[in-house]
Formats: sequence, structure tokens, C-alpha cells
Amino acid sequence: MISFIGRSVIQKIITLFFVSIVSFLIIHIAPGKPSQVDPMNPKFTPEVVERFRKEFHLDKPLHVQYLYFYKNLFTGETVSWKDNQSVLKKIWERFLNSLPLFIVGTIITWTLSFPIGIRSAIFRGQFYDRSATFLSYLLISIPGFFFAYVLIIFVVNQFHVPVIGMETFGIGDGASLPHIFMDRIWHLLLPSVLGATGGIAVLSRYVRSQMLEVEGQDYIRTARAKGLPPEQVHYKHALRNALLPFVTMFGLILPGLIGGSVIIESIFSWPGMGRMAYEAILARDYPIILTVNFVSAVLVLAGTFISDLLYLIVDPRIRL
Amino acid sequence: MTIRRVLILAPMLLILFLLQSYFWVPTYEEQTKGNPERLNEYIAGSIGDASLLNPILTADSASSSIENMVFEGLIDRDEQLHFRGRLATSWEVLEEAFFYINKNASIPGLAKADPQDVANFLRKATKKKNTTAPGLKISLDHITSISVIPARNYSVTRQIKGTDTGEQKKYIKISIAAPARIKLVLNRVDQDLFQNLSLFLGKDYFASFHGENYLSTDPVLKKERSAKYAGELLPATEHNPFLMFNLRPGVKFHDGHLFDAYDVKFTYESIMNPKNLSPRIADYEPVKSVTVIDPLTVKIVYKRLYSPAIGTWSMGILPEHLLNHNALKKEARLLGKDPNTFSMRQSSFNRHPIGCGPFRFQEWKSDQYIILDRFDGYWEGPPNYKKYVFRVIPDRLTQEMEFYAGTIDSYDVQPHQVKRLEKDQRFQSFSGTAFGYTYIGYNIRRKPFDDPRVRRALGMAIDMNKIIKYVLYDQGERITGPFVKQTDYYNHNIKPVPYDPKGALALLEAAGWKRNKEGWLTKDGNKFQFTLITNNGNDLRKAILAIAQDAWKQIGIDVHTDLLEWSVFIQERVNKADFDALILGWQMGIEPDLYQIWHSSQTNPYQLNFVSFKNKEADDLIIKIRQEYDHDRQVEYCHRLHEIIAIEQPYTFLYVGKWTAVLDKRIVMKTVDDAGQIMYEKIKPTKTGNYSFYFNKWIKLPEAPVFMDEG
Repeated sequence: MISFIGRSVIQKIITLFFVSIVSFLIIHIAPGKPSQVDPMNPKFTPEVVERFRKEFHLDKPLHVQYLYFYKNLFTGETVSWKDNQSVLKKIWERFLNSLPLFIVGTIITWTLSFPIGIRSAIFRGQFYDRSATFLSYLLISIPGFFFAYVLIIFVVNQFHVPVIGMETFGIGDGASLPHIFMDRIWHLLLPSVLGATGGIAVLSRYVRSQMLEVEGQDYIRTARAKGLPPEQVHYKHALRNALLPFVTMFGLILPGLIGGSVIIESIFSWPGMGRMAYEAILARDYPIILTVNFVSAVLVLAGTFISDLLYLIVDPRIRL
Repeated sequence: MTIRRVLILAPMLLILFLLQSYFWVPTYEEQTKGNPERLNEYIAGSIGDASLLNPILTADSASSSIENMVFEGLIDRDEQLHFRGRLATSWEVLEEAFFYINKNASIPGLAKADPQDVANFLRKATKKKNTTAPGLKISLDHITSISVIPARNYSVTRQIKGTDTGEQKKYIKISIAAPARIKLVLNRVDQDLFQNLSLFLGKDYFASFHGENYLSTDPVLKKERSAKYAGELLPATEHNPFLMFNLRPGVKFHDGHLFDAYDVKFTYESIMNPKNLSPRIADYEPVKSVTVIDPLTVKIVYKRLYSPAIGTWSMGILPEHLLNHNALKKEARLLGKDPNTFSMRQSSFNRHPIGCGPFRFQEWKSDQYIILDRFDGYWEGPPNYKKYVFRVIPDRLTQEMEFYAGTIDSYDVQPHQVKRLEKDQRFQSFSGTAFGYTYIGYNIRRKPFDDPRVRRALGMAIDMNKIIKYVLYDQGERITGPFVKQTDYYNHNIKPVPYDPKGALALLEAAGWKRNKEGWLTKDGNKFQFTLITNNGNDLRKAILAIAQDAWKQIGIDVHTDLLEWSVFIQERVNKADFDALILGWQMGIEPDLYQIWHSSQTNPYQLNFVSFKNKEADDLIIKIRQEYDHDRQVEYCHRLHEIIAIEQPYTFLYVGKWTAVLDKRIVMKTVDDAGQIMYEKIKPTKTGNYSFYFNKWIKLPEAPVFMDEG
């Protein structure tokens, strides 16, 4: 067990090192320059551009830039080129904004997928199953932004309430605490439902197929033959065994924490991680891009690590 | 079965809980009509957030729009685009000119050229009633005083980078034995002064002064090198135009501190401070010195003639007391940072700016909003709106929805949306000529684009009016040259290149291009073919690309087209001048300074005259326009330059776009006259298309007013 953890940590650190090199290279080799070094603005004389390059260490060879960047990152001194704010502070702020969206979206996805998927499996091939399948594929294939627009237009025109932003604009003045809280919940509703639709569609399919696989096992037949009520067979014998693969998936959703969703966040004016990262890419704000990249790499690796551990705990058959 | 019940109940409860929040949310109605305070705030929607709120550190439009509210410059431009005083009440543009006494040159009618004699000689000439040359007479008339600066010896040390040896630095000691100098003070700026004086001091008086004879270097340098230093340290003649600003007394910053000349000096020094990395440094590089004469008078001396410099003083003035060396040191210590490396860029001031503009900064939530409150102590009287809110909504469709709902007052409206909103009774819409144009540029280095007839013919083959009608939905107009169409500098006598494919063919034939059997144009057996490129992601340019390709094909030119990603387009093609023809656009400023885009010295790689336009007369005019401080003469030069460019056709000027804006009809201008009578007026854009020029007078009324002139 301990040797497994040790080996795994070392492997992951090595992977992380290579990820940091590759992502650094990709960003620096990709065409385009930071907007501060934009050569098409007549106001930027070569001297100014040169000075910015120096300030940003862009005049140094790539490996020196790499060392500078990661030294600053680990000492917490990295600042965004756009506004000189500390990158870690910025990411933390955005992370807190994206977090509720992520949590509510995940809860919706996971609580809805299971009942839908299980029911589909139980009534396999019947009307309910077919319509659920149809709906899932429909939701997977509709582009998120289109669905978002349709929903926004519908809600705004029908109910005349604001849906964009983290809260109703200007609500802070004089509203009571429950009002502010509920207002925030309302503003979470649409974006998190939209973020969850794809997830529900995919996850409920997984649940269905897992359930079907388990339901075909011998021990289920035995359980049925014993004369157990079908409910007990489905929910106790089958479901427990079908759950195993989802434990792994739960670890893998961790990176979603930092990824955020560019499209949903832009459409809903949500000041989250995804939007910040996207704008940073457009402006070639390397410190932000690289830090987000690094943190998400860490989260991906941590996620796989956690799911390995979870598997170990949940499935007694696995021993390391 | 409990598991089943939980599985079904949990999502239902969750969804119910989420949905019930609907009953707690204020509706749009409550936010707008139900909220009387809403009439006192102006909410502007924006796609992007500001970066830093410090006018000397930023150049992006989102930040500038806030900075213009919070900060105030010395001057700005009025409706007619003339300068008007803001923090300055008045200003004068004067000049000090210098020249060295040239011992070797002989002055006609003066035997011994002693400095005092030369000065007296000039003094006498200024008093003379009639002189033979009229230009000289004018120049002499503007001289208000003449004095002699005695000869002096001094030395300076210069550092040069070893060009071959990499980073190695060398120091050079230069000893200068400067001869006496004559100082002339002029009551206006006169770029022809020395040219006119040479009519009278002798043709070669200035030209035959060789500065390198008066300096010695240690170690001894090559001739060219020391001549370069001589040109810099001992120029034969020197123009030092200067600005005298009289500042407005009693103006306060938002924190109550009085504004004075030291703030102006501080703002200049902050821009020039290399630690601050100001993107505006190029505008202020020609400044020689900023001197505080008294707390309400500041003198700005320039190293050379540079007329666009006046406009740079519309830059917002920073409060010295909050950002000077000591204040920054204190802040660094408070934050636990190294005071020696801490610069204005890191200061928290950039997120809590204090200026002396009409609105004071209140709150900034990144990527959400910026709130400004009206500044009651504003010197021109406080604005009507109590609040200015800058709301970041990155999506255009949701912006439009919020606008319809009345929770934002303005947004980045698109041409097709204006068409729709124009007919709506609730809104008023504005539109006018924009400041940027789109063009097809030809690489003049390459054949056959080196022939102006060919370039003109290519322009004649394209039907611009159709492009404006069908591609731009009439949201554009024709343009014939590189000046802002609304200014005097633009020469309206120049007719746009007509649509005339037959004429184009005739011109091409004159240039030696004939159609062969298949209909392709050929010359000396070579087919007329080239590649037209533009950047990806701009639908208008993409459409023009196809239209131009088709139009040229019709007169027998084989055109290939290519769309490139922006950074590849710029770095690989434009910067390296590796293209035949391209479609691109320029944003223009009001100043008619065309040096970077049109001067022949700017044709190297990475410079902006990438089409390689070279014309001797145009070069002279560009320099003259830069050096001329008199508006009428500047206009005259610009008109001529415009004419040359129209004849040469280095670009096919396609169109200038239109800006558009939509506002709620209830927003009007409110003025109170001396008798306390309130008057409402309709918002009208100024001549240059600035509809928010009188923003401080705007207010939103509960009901849309009916104006008399509307009937």
C-alpha cells in the first residue's frame, strides 16, 4: 500500500515535470505575442516593446524563461501581465466564483443520472428507455451555447427576471440576507443546469449500461430465483456492483474544478475561471495561462491518484 | 425500499429548492421602473473588463473609458476638434531657437563675425521696415529677443555597446569646446526660421558649421561616429518649441488635495520613468524638460519641432501626493515588498484611482462591474447622473437582452441591430463616420505593383458602392486618403477612384498588359497573377477578398486568395513584407501625423510602411506636417499630401466604417440656466461623431419627452 503510494507520487511528479515543459514550449512556440508587445500599434515604438520584453524576460533563452517562471510560481510572485495582479490571488478569486457552479452542476448531474439510468436499465427496450435514450442523444448533440440562448430567451421573456451574472445587478443595496442568498441560487440555476445537461446525458447512459451488465450476471439470476422482490434485486444486488466504475469517475471530475466552462461563463457573464483563462489566451498572458495549466495538471494527477485510492477502498478484491 | 426513495426524492427536492428561488428574485420591472434611483445612474455595458485604472499605464479602450471619467487632462478637444482648456485655463505655444556662431562662414555685409556683432546685426535686421525676401521678413517679425550664450567647455561620458563583442560596454569621454551661441525667442513656432535666416546670414552659414571640429573623444573614434555625437551634442541649429500652460486654480482631486503644476510635472516624469513601462512613452519622448514656474504655471520645452505634442496633454493628470517616491515606498513596506523594485505598476492605486475628473472611483469587481460616483466638487459643476456603472457582459446577445430590459443604458451595438432598433419608438439611435478605414495594400517592391497605373487600374475594377451596400449594409462610406474624414485635413476635392473596368483595361494596356486568347492579361509572356491575403476571423474582409478576386478575374487577372491566422499574418507576412497584396485596416487619430505609415524611412521589416510607399515630395510634406504648429498651413500640406497619395494609389482605399449607438429615448440633456430654469434638449452627436460629448449633462427622465422640433 505505502509502496504503491510512494511509487505513484514519484511517477506523477515526473509526469508533472514533463507537462510543465511541454505546456511551456507550446505556449512560447505558438504564433502570437503578448498584447503588450503588439507590433501593429503605432504607439508602441521598438524601444517600448524592447523594454516590455525585458521586463517579461522574453529576451532570454527559453530555458531561462522556464526557470524564471517556475521559480516565481513556487514563491508565489507570479503576476499577470495584463494588470499586475498576483496570479495565484486572481485564480483563487475566480476559483471561488466557479466553485458554486461546479458543485451545483455536479450534484444535479449525479443525482439525476442515477434514477434515470437505473430506470432505463430496468425497463430496457420499453417506451421509457427509448425516450430516455432519444433525449440523451438530443442533449449530447445540441450545442451548449445554442441551448443556453434558447433557455435565456425563454426565461427572460416568460418570467421577466434577470438570469445573467452571479447575482441580480445592484441587489446588494438594502436587500435582506435570505433574498441575497436566494437570488444567488436563482442565478446558479440556469448555468448549472446547462452545464449539467451534457453530463446527465452521458452519465445516465453509463449507469444504464453498467446496470445492464450487472443484471446479466449469474448472482442476479440467483437472487431472482431465490424469490427476492425485484426491487431488492435491482437496488441492493445489482446497483452496488454497478457503482464500482463510478467511484473512479468521481475522482476524475476534480480537474473540472479549475477548467470551468468558457462558453457558459461568457454567455452568463459569470466571472469564473474558464473566462479568465480564455481571455488570458487571447491576450497571450503567459503567466496566467501557464499557471492555470499547471494547476489543472496537478488536479488531473491528483484526481487519478484519488480514484485509485477510492477503488482500493471500495473494491475489496483489489489488493496492492 | 429506502434506496429507491432516496434516489428519486433527492433530485426532486434539489430541483424544487432551486426553482423556488425564482420567487425571491427581483424582476426587471422592479429593477427599472420600480426603482426611482435607476434614473440617476447610467449603466454602460462592455464586452471586456478594464485592466488597470491608471492613464499612464494603459492603452486599451475599456480602461480608457473609465479613466476619462476619473481623470482629467490639461486640455481636450471641443465639438469642432479645436483644443479647449480643462485643467489648464489657457496656454501659449512659443519657441526658443539656437544656433552656433560659425567662425568660418562670412556674413554678407559683416566683416568680423564676433558673437555680439552677429546678435547686433540680427537686432538691426528685425527693426528694418522692408526686407527683400517676404518669408524672411515674417520670420524676423516674430523674434522677440536675441541674446548671446558665451562659449563654454564641458565634457560628457557616453556608453556604447560593443556591437561585435556582445554585451561588452565601452565608455567614451567626450570633451566639448562649444563656441558661442545665439538664442532667439519667438512668439510663435517657425519651422522655416533658419532657412529664412540663411538668406541673410549667408547660404552656407548653418550648413558649413561642423560640430565635430569642436569636440575631442577619448578614445579617439572613427569620423562617422564622432560626427554622430557632434550632431547630437552640437547641432548647428536647434528648435526648442515650448508650451506655457496656465493652470486652473482651486481644482481638487477626489481626496480633497489641491491640484497644481507639480502634479503635471509628476505625471510627465512617471511616464518617462522606465520602471513604469508606460506604453505612452513615445508621445513624450520629444519633451526636453518640464519646469514648474509657479504652482499654476508650467513650462514644457521640446527638443525639436513636433506638433502632435500639444494633443498629448489631454492625458489624465495623476495625483503626485499619492504616488510619489515616498508614497510608493510606504506602500511597499506595508505590503512587505522590496521598496527598491516596487513601482507604480504594482501600486494598489491602479485599482482605486483618484483623479480630478467628474466621477470618483467607488468599487471594482473584476469581470463584473466598476462603479463610479459623481464628484460633487468637480470644477465645471457636478454631472447630472449620480452614478456611472461599467458592467462587463461578454456576450452580445445577453447584452442586447439586458438593454431591452432596461438594466443597461448602452452597449456595443452591431450594425444589423441598429437597423432593427431604429424603428423602435423607445430608442434613439446615433450613427456617424468612424475613425478607421479598410484598404487593399500593394507591395510596391514587387512587379507589377511598382507601376501606379496598375494600382489605379486594380482599384477601378472593384465596385466599392456595391460592397458598401451589400456587405456593409450601408454602414460605411467611401474614403480617398489616410486622413480622418471629419477633419479639415481631409481633402474633399479628391474624387474616389471610379468603378470602370473598361478604363482599368485601358490603363493596364498602357502599362503593357494585353489580354491573350484565353482572356488573361499578359505582358512579355507572363500572366498577371498574384495572391491577395487577409487575416482570418474578419467576415467583412473575407467577403471583400472574394469580391475583389472575382472583379479582377473579370478583367483577366488571375488572383489567388489566402486567409491567415492573425499572428501568422502579421509576423510572417506583413512584418517581413512577404505578400503581393493584402486587405487590412488602420485606426486613425485626429492628429495628421503620417510618419510611421507613409514615410519612406519606415519601409524596413517590422515597420509600418510595409507596402514600401516612397515619394520624395510626400516625405517632405510628412516632415513639414509634423513640424508645423499653424493649423491652416498644416491643412494646406495635408491636402497636398492627400493628393499625392490619391495619384500614387499605394493603397486602394476601400471604405471608412460607421459607428453606431443606441440609447433609451428617455435619456436627454438637462441644463439649468442662471435663472434656475431647467431646460431639456435632445442629445445630438458633435461634428466628429462623439455623441457622449456632453455626457455630464445627461439624465434619464421617467417618461420620454416630446421635443418641439420633432413636431
